[in-house]
Amino acid sequence: MPYVVQGQSLSKRYGGVLAVDDLTFAIEAGTITGFLGPNGAGKSTTLRMLLGLAKPTSGHAKVFGSPYDQLETPALRIGAVLEATDFHPGRSGRDHLRTLSRAVGLPDARVDEVLSLVELQDASRRRVKGYSLGMRQRLGLAAALLGNPDLLVLDEPANGLDPEGVRWLRDFLRDFASGGRTVLISSHVLAEVAQTVDQVLIINHGRLVAESTLEELTARVGAVVRVQSPELDQLADALQRAGIVATRTNDHALLAQGTTRERVGDVAHAAGLAIYELLTEGSSLEEVFLDLTSGEAP
Amino acid sequence: MNQLRAELLKIRSTRTTIGLLVGLIALALLFTILTCTLTPVSQLTTEQDQISLLSFGSIAGVFAALAGIMLFTSEYRFGTIRPTSLFNPNRNRLFTSKITAGVLSGLVFGVIGEGLVFSIGLMILKIRGIPTLMTGANMTELIVGAIIGTALWGAIGVAVGAIVPNQVGAVISLLAWGFVVENLVFGFLPKVGRFLPVHASDSMMGPVENKLLSGVAGTAAVVAWALVLAIAGLALLKRRDVS
Repeated sequence: MPYVVQGQSLSKRYGGVLAVDDLTFAIEAGTITGFLGPNGAGKSTTLRMLLGLAKPTSGHAKVFGSPYDQLETPALRIGAVLEATDFHPGRSGRDHLRTLSRAVGLPDARVDEVLSLVELQDASRRRVKGYSLGMRQRLGLAAALLGNPDLLVLDEPANGLDPEGVRWLRDFLRDFASGGRTVLISSHVLAEVAQTVDQVLIINHGRLVAESTLEELTARVGAVVRVQSPELDQLADALQRAGIVATRTNDHALLAQGTTRERVGDVAHAAGLAIYELLTEGSSLEEVFLDLTSGEAP
Repeated sequence: MNQLRAELLKIRSTRTTIGLLVGLIALALLFTILTCTLTPVSQLTTEQDQISLLSFGSIAGVFAALAGIMLFTSEYRFGTIRPTSLFNPNRNRLFTSKITAGVLSGLVFGVIGEGLVFSIGLMILKIRGIPTLMTGANMTELIVGAIIGTALWGAIGVAVGAIVPNQVGAVISLLAWGFVVENLVFGFLPKVGRFLPVHASDSMMGPVENKLLSGVAGTAAVVAWALVLAIAGLALLKRRDVS
């Protein structure tokens, strides 16, 4: 399967600062990929190179097999939101979208469709300066969706969103990707995207430090799986026999160290034990992330 | 053509350009009504006097240039350069569309500015019983020269905005050049100053005071300035990353 997004030995230098350092990665179609790293890790610079806004100092950035600016009308295949504030405050939301849709020859009817999709139709004729941050995020998303793209690239889309907005975005992205389309979403907080993404690319100081599924990542670094069962003692024994260290909590659960939910579930199933709760602890995922991104610059 | 339609919509969909147009209309009306009403008859007895009075419409060039500057600097100021570039990654096409939009809006500014000054000025002179001394050819040169000059200032404004993306910086640069630097150069070195864009565009309007270039040479000089600035603006646009 050809890759939808590819970085090949991608580097970007700003003066004396190497913002992106020899980054190589590839993303397949139909996946939701979290592009993670602390602030200043080079995420936004990488996305800008992928989208033809910044020229790589060396290496290649490709989407659908070509550099962005060599694609025929790329906005019809790729939708992107880079900042939540990219609007003229004195222009209405609808007119903002019309200026973009005209550039690629789309009719105004498509503008109204995407406004409805992001639930902004009622506010569309108001000037953007009166929009809340959540509304601006959705307007940005509407712009990205204008061309009915197969790939959505979002740079820190959850920044500043309230929990309801985060949930709306998560549901939206799941729905978008369910049809085989691809999402690349950057964040500096793993927990923010952990429930949304299938796989992660983690960078630090411009370099790739991990490229894997979330499960692989947690297993690799030794995550904690929380499990509840009516037969806790038997489960603890079964886990011990399987070589998994588990400790009991005060609220009658077990914390299994350095394993995955699948592994714990399989052990319980093999032992014929019922399970009431099985989850990878968020805090430990965050610890994994911090562990991977805490290194000093080379 | 799609991008040009997008640029024209950008102009129409905010109040900035309308504000500049209202400013131009107010200034043109104020100046024309005051000067044509208050200037003594003794100072309006030659064709040259009347041409000087009615050439005020060329002030539209300042407004057209400011509107042109906004076409690029607003994109950088408000970050819309990012979605604009995503929807049209071809910088040549983007730049050409903005220049064309700048010229078209400049034409509108020119027609309104010179049209107002000319029609109201002549009307006031007629009411005061002062005969029109301008020949038809000179009238045509003044009107056409002012309108084309204003359109070219629209293009110059777009180019300046591409060169200096900071809106305040671009506006100050333009006004400082037009009102200070050029006048100083022209004052000390008129043979050089007459080739500079403001004085060259003044000479596009025919036999106005201090005319130092012919209409054709003045037009050629302004076109050359617009081209040089446009080439520099396009080169910088293509070289710069969109952050």
